[in-house]
Amino acid sequence: MENIWTIENLWNAIGTVLRNWLAGFLPAWLVTLIMDLLVIVVLLAIGIVAVLVLSFMERKVAARAGDRYGPNRWGPYGLLQPFADAIKMLIKEDIIPHVADRFSFNLAPVIVTVGAVMTYAVLPFGRDMVAANLNIGILYFAAVGSLSIIGLLTAGWGSRNKYALISAFRAVAQLITYEVPVGLCIICVVMLAGSLSTQDIVLAQQERGWFFLLMPGIFILYFLAASAEMIRCPFDLLEADSEIIAGHFIEYSGMKFALFFLAEYIHLFAGSAMMVTLFFGGWLGPWLPSWLWFLIKTFVVIFVFMWIRNTFPRIRIDQVLKIGWKVMVPAGLVGLAITGFVDKLIADKLIAGVVLFICNIGLIIGVSYLMGRAQRRKEMAAEGAALR
Amino acid sequence: MYGTGLLKGLSVTLRHMIGTFVTDIRKFPRRYFTDGNHPTRSPEPYLHGTFSIQYPEEKVPMWPRFRGPLVHLRDPETGQPRCTACGMCERACPHGCIKVEGEGKGKERKPTRYEYNVGRCIFCRQCVESCPFNAIELSRFYELACYDKDTIWDLPRLLELGDKEVITEQGQFWGET
Repeated sequence: MENIWTIENLWNAIGTVLRNWLAGFLPAWLVTLIMDLLVIVVLLAIGIVAVLVLSFMERKVAARAGDRYGPNRWGPYGLLQPFADAIKMLIKEDIIPHVADRFSFNLAPVIVTVGAVMTYAVLPFGRDMVAANLNIGILYFAAVGSLSIIGLLTAGWGSRNKYALISAFRAVAQLITYEVPVGLCIICVVMLAGSLSTQDIVLAQQERGWFFLLMPGIFILYFLAASAEMIRCPFDLLEADSEIIAGHFIEYSGMKFALFFLAEYIHLFAGSAMMVTLFFGGWLGPWLPSWLWFLIKTFVVIFVFMWIRNTFPRIRIDQVLKIGWKVMVPAGLVGLAITGFVDKLIADKLIAGVVLFICNIGLIIGVSYLMGRAQRRKEMAAEGAALR
Repeated sequence: MYGTGLLKGLSVTLRHMIGTFVTDIRKFPRRYFTDGNHPTRSPEPYLHGTFSIQYPEEKVPMWPRFRGPLVHLRDPETGQPRCTACGMCERACPHGCIKVEGEGKGKERKPTRYEYNVGRCIFCRQCVESCPFNAIELSRFYELACYDKDTIWDLPRLLELGDKEVITEQGQFWGET
């Protein structure tokens, strides 16, 4: 009992001490209830803190990419800016359009936010630091993560605004399209790890090496599909400001808008954390405590998402769907086949890893070649049409 | 290879991101602060680093022919205002925002009252053109926002502004010679 107070399991130690203190004067079922509620509160707090940090980070990264400073007036280096934003959101007037469907209009932000926060339950924040170590963790993540589509659809329908409705259509089309490659990539990881539990996947990477190194091709596929899932640029067609103004939250203001905002950044954090879990070894790492490693890796991935957002323009909705169905799903199927055969046929884990790596490089080159050939053919056809 | 253009674009934004930090470190203590009225940044575009000008702390110098409000100049030998209250500027002003009263005869004539209504002024520079003694000039001062409607500036204030704002030396006025 004396060495529970290490930095490694600081949070677990706090939980244990609190549980023991409560067990002193409360019945067992009440202690369980209180502790479970406390975990929910902590997860919500992590979500809100993540939103505060990420909104600030997003603005700073965007500013630096555009040779500007970003917010730097309120607090040192503008660090208090997210709090000012939050206060502004809270005191804004809450407007409900007359023609809106009040029930679904008010329900939508709740569904979106709850669906986003629920994904936190299976994120392995550190060694033994997962709220619910489900044996179907990844499946739960994929299922609950797509719950927010219903919220977006509800918002688009309830607002009674054509832009919001277009955004809802796009949500269904795009998110369901990209659910498929995400699922295929996840199955590849699950086959190598031999488990659906997030903790087991991390531990499998301790044994076999980071899956990012084993399967770079699958990783790129997952990265692109996940950025479409998280509605990040260049796939943020749902909130394309230049076409459909702000998409599904065009009619929302005040706290409800803030909830959509919250859900967006919670999704970003959860998606990046899941990417770290699946491909970058989760909380594995030397010297530092495991939860710190997890946060560092997650923020590096989030930075890459923001970097991409500030580099590439948005692509069209038909291009999004075309890439999804014509490139990503076949590539995912091929990757799945490669992973399955290699994992089944080669028993030795090191050799299997090397073969998998080579096959993945081949996959990248092959997809790139085929896409380039299709592009060239299209250009030649256009030239021929012009000549005629 | 198809798709390498994406990596090129990513490298460009990353280089810009790093460049802003490099220039920040290079001019570290002077990032937000300036001494007096002198701008720390030249208005020339930078190839690397941030081009933002942190306005209240950093100011862009106005170009030489910028037309700000009217100021009075002093005679460098005596330190007295050069104005002789001849009233030419009052007559030249298309908006009637200048009012001059003076006393004395000939070379002894001095202004007793000089009112300049900056709220009505259109900065046309007619008064400066008409002045036979080069006694007035347009300054490069541009922060004219104020909290009340009392925008009439009197002679001491114009002289003070002239001491502060006009950087050109005697005889080197713009548009002449």
